[in-house]
Amino acid sequence: MPSVSSRWRIAAAAIAGAVLLMYPLVAPNAYLLYVAVFALMYMALATSWNIMGGLTGYISLGHSAFFGLGAYVTGLAVTRLGVPHLPMAVVAGVLVGVLAIAIGYVALRVRGASFVIVTIALVYIFNLLAQGWRDLTGGSTGLRVPAIGDLSRLQIHTVFFYAFAAMFLLALATWWFIDRSKLGMGLKAIREDEDKAQALGVPTNAYKISAFAISAGFTAVGGGLYAAWFNALDPVFVFSIIIGANMVLMALLGGVHHLLGPALGAVIVVPASEYFLVQLGETQIHLVATGLLLAIVVLVMPDGIIPALSALRRRRGPPAASIRESSAETATTSRVTP
Amino acid sequence: MPSASLLLQGLALGILTGGVYALLASGLTLYFGVMRVVQIAHPAFLFLGAYLTYFLFTFLRVDPLLSILVTVPLFFVLGVAIQRLLLSRLRPDSFTMMSVLLTFAFALLIEGMLGVVATGSFRSVTVDYATRSFQLGTVRLPYDRLIGFAVAVATLMLLFAVLRYSRYGQALRATIQHREAARLVGIDTDRITAIGFGLGLATAAVGGAVLALITTFFPAAHWGWIARLMAIIVVGGLGSVSGAALAALMLGVIEALVLVTLDATWAALVFYAFLFLTLVFRPQGFFGGRLAERF
Amino acid sequence: MSRPRSHQPSKDAVRRRSTASPAVPRRRVRWLCLIALLAVALAACGGEDPTAAEGASEEPAAGSEAPESAATGGEDLEGEPIRIGVSLPLTGDFSEPGKGVQNGYDTWATMVNEAGGLLDRPVEMIYRDDGSDPNRVISDYEQLITSEEVDMVLGPFSSRLVLAAADVAERNDMLFIEPAGAAPEIFEEGFENLFYAAPAVADTHYDYLFEYIMALPEDERPATVAYAVLDDPFAQGTAYGLKTQLEEAGFETVTDEVYPPDQTDFAAIAARVADSGAELFVGGTQFEDSVGLIRAFQELGYQPQMATFSTGPTLPQFSEAVGGASEGILSPVGYSASADLPGNAEFVAKYQELYDGEPGEDPANGYTAGQILAAAIEEVECADSSPECQQQLIDYIRGAEIETIVGPLSWDEAGRPQGAHMIQQWLDGRIEIVLPDTEVKTADLVYPKPEW
Repeated sequence: MPSVSSRWRIAAAAIAGAVLLMYPLVAPNAYLLYVAVFALMYMALATSWNIMGGLTGYISLGHSAFFGLGAYVTGLAVTRLGVPHLPMAVVAGVLVGVLAIAIGYVALRVRGASFVIVTIALVYIFNLLAQGWRDLTGGSTGLRVPAIGDLSRLQIHTVFFYAFAAMFLLALATWWFIDRSKLGMGLKAIREDEDKAQALGVPTNAYKISAFAISAGFTAVGGGLYAAWFNALDPVFVFSIIIGANMVLMALLGGVHHLLGPALGAVIVVPASEYFLVQLGETQIHLVATGLLLAIVVLVMPDGIIPALSALRRRRGPPAASIRESSAETATTSRVTP
Repeated sequence: MPSASLLLQGLALGILTGGVYALLASGLTLYFGVMRVVQIAHPAFLFLGAYLTYFLFTFLRVDPLLSILVTVPLFFVLGVAIQRLLLSRLRPDSFTMMSVLLTFAFALLIEGMLGVVATGSFRSVTVDYATRSFQLGTVRLPYDRLIGFAVAVATLMLLFAVLRYSRYGQALRATIQHREAARLVGIDTDRITAIGFGLGLATAAVGGAVLALITTFFPAAHWGWIARLMAIIVVGGLGSVSGAALAALMLGVIEALVLVTLDATWAALVFYAFLFLTLVFRPQGFFGGRLAERF
Repeated sequence: MSRPRSHQPSKDAVRRRSTASPAVPRRRVRWLCLIALLAVALAACGGEDPTAAEGASEEPAAGSEAPESAATGGEDLEGEPIRIGVSLPLTGDFSEPGKGVQNGYDTWATMVNEAGGLLDRPVEMIYRDDGSDPNRVISDYEQLITSEEVDMVLGPFSSRLVLAAADVAERNDMLFIEPAGAAPEIFEEGFENLFYAAPAVADTHYDYLFEYIMALPEDERPATVAYAVLDDPFAQGTAYGLKTQLEEAGFETVTDEVYPPDQTDFAAIAARVADSGAELFVGGTQFEDSVGLIRAFQELGYQPQMATFSTGPTLPQFSEAVGGASEGILSPVGYSASADLPGNAEFVAKYQELYDGEPGEDPANGYTAGQILAAAIEEVECADSSPECQQQLIDYIRGAEIETIVGPLSWDEAGRPQGAHMIQQWLDGRIEIVLPDTEVKTADLVYPKPEW
């Protein structure tokens, strides 16, 4: 039931969102707009990842496989068949989502560590396929996708700013709906204890595969938009573990149990890493920084920033009041759902 | 149709390479056995070992095989330290996710530091005997690969002996099999886990020295190995050293045969094809026996 | 602050199991706070306003500035520096040649500044590292052009990266002289601002060698040919350019291997080539793979009569990397340090002074690109990033023949240079130019190749 304070929060969020959406009009130059689009892309990707990772607890380090698939499907369709870019990205998302059902059927037969291994393998498989199937994909030299139109860089960035923003909002909405739905409850049950959930009659396989496919589909849309935006696809860099790891890092940093957690993680990591790249130049120090950040997050605040900050707020703020002592305790420490 | 001599050569190369794969994958098995942790940074440590071997060779003229005497104790201590100080701090309920991410962070850190210190240039260790080979009929066995194979086999046998016959080894196997039961019989599982981890990293030191000898490497080289080694231990059966060794040999041979008959790219796919086959038909692996786990 | 203590631990504990543990120690919270604030602050700094990003690189944080724009002696000159932006692979797959090109650019900038600059303005090179990643190349050039607002850009290394970067430059109406993109695809994209700073494009690299082979008496020619080629547009351009010519002339291709860029194990590929017994081996390679292949060939005892590799043997460290096996290996090369071409002796001397060693092809290509740019700027008398100035430079270069250290260069409408590459051979531990048989030649081609 939306209380007064939460209505204020929603209104504030909406206003903030509207302001942020005007950024392309005030961006000082094309490069900074590019950084913003990049951040939005990762916000969308991390949120998509979180549909699987946060809700089911299955950590996929290989989501860049779907990213790359979406990129290549879109790129190839645009290059070979001449279909328009943006709708094709959505179609690619659907196609990859369907493929992910098949992949998930096999991959989700294992759990925990083995599942991680399988997702890593997925990235390499598609990387190798993209490189090896030269006639289809152009091999290691990559694929050049024609630009969306005869626009300046600034205009292209603006178009994709809104495209990624739309995708992000859609991913958010999907996460939100799933979180509240029966599917979401089932997924969380799987996360807590899969065997018990199965014993209780939760259709764990169907639910897991659904979450996997939805998450994969969204990620693929992100990949398709990326192909249309960047116009140059290189299999090694598109099917790269690092993209997948970034998604996980961002989701973790912000908080995997929260709607806006991954987005917050992306907003912190992307500008920071661009800043470091420009300042330090050397890719290797950038890697050290990323590794350190990830290690610190895992060791010190594994639940992410949002819970850490809200824990802070609770400690500083007035204690929760309730006529029943025990529920006051749980009222303050139960998970914050938006 | 490839000639018989080519196939034989491929077979020979495959066996030699498979032995090395077995060594490289053995560490992963140990980590997984004692802690159920997927140590993504193992290949990165392998190449750290390779770089150390390279630097010892280039600046101090230490033969790569001798440098093992230095790097193994170093890595053992490092492994114990990592397990004790970092991995054991992770919370049990989210252990899988966090350990994967933490070890991934290690991999990034190692790659970054190697890049800063050693730059992105490709390195390899070229010793005089490296370009000569031993002729056996029509098959030529390159010396560096023979040596790598011999080192790998020796190390694995040593590891096996330790696991089988020493007290620590038996305690380790007990811990791998059933942690609570091991504790019940009085084994200090925390200490054993640390030792297991140290052993795993020690094999990385040996593996690194072998890699330095037989291949060229650069800081980002470890990415290509993660999935391959993971595939080996899944096919072999998670938690079983002998299973991993057998799987490594088999996959090494198949990869080499595909390489000499088809394409380099398809050869790399061999690992993943087997990974998926294993998952579909026998998720607990093919060679593992009772030690192997489902996940 | 008193907290009501719950006396029902089990149920609540189950509910709370996966949330933040209630007893978060104080110091941990402070840690989290600090880190979060730091990260957000950094993010704010990074995404704030243009002066922050620009100021960050111009700041007297000399430590971070130094690696990006090397000391090129421009400090003494007055006048606004002409800022030239470049993205190079200083790390990653192409880092060796990338650094070579950087050395070439820096040598050029130093020499220009010592001679009084261009239009009395000093030249300043600004570098970004793209790690051999085409995506980074795009954003690097974008950052350089729109955020750093450099006056000129020069190209990166490797055909793959050049394709991506040229697109950015063209969209910003900037001249794009590049030192390393020779693959045929580059010139088929319809770029109107691109010029390649070397004598010839990839598929004509081997023209002189082909002529030589055809000039041999029939029974002496190598009858069978094997190819092992890196999956890269330049490597494939050179190797397949020769392959097309050889196949048309009736030479038999016994095996054609293609391998991905991260291939480090060449034993099996070499086994296939060795098994074919080819008399001529053509390697479309970069550096590491050429070394790996040769080592593998040695191990297998494969001895072709003639062996040629692209790129690898042109680098000075090649000889050491293959041990004594370099003798007789051929390679197409666009540059020779001993050639008596205008400006070459000075370039070689300066390079040796700065970097201690003879310059190879990559630094030479970088230097050549700089020479072309300098000639255009001096002639057109403008050096800013406005579309008008850039177009004037483009038009001038299009119609000109410019003297460089690789000879006189001129281009067609797609930016293809109209010259031809020389063929070098390692003899007695030195690189000698063996083809064409003109005044650039320094030794006779040795055939068949001695055993490696």
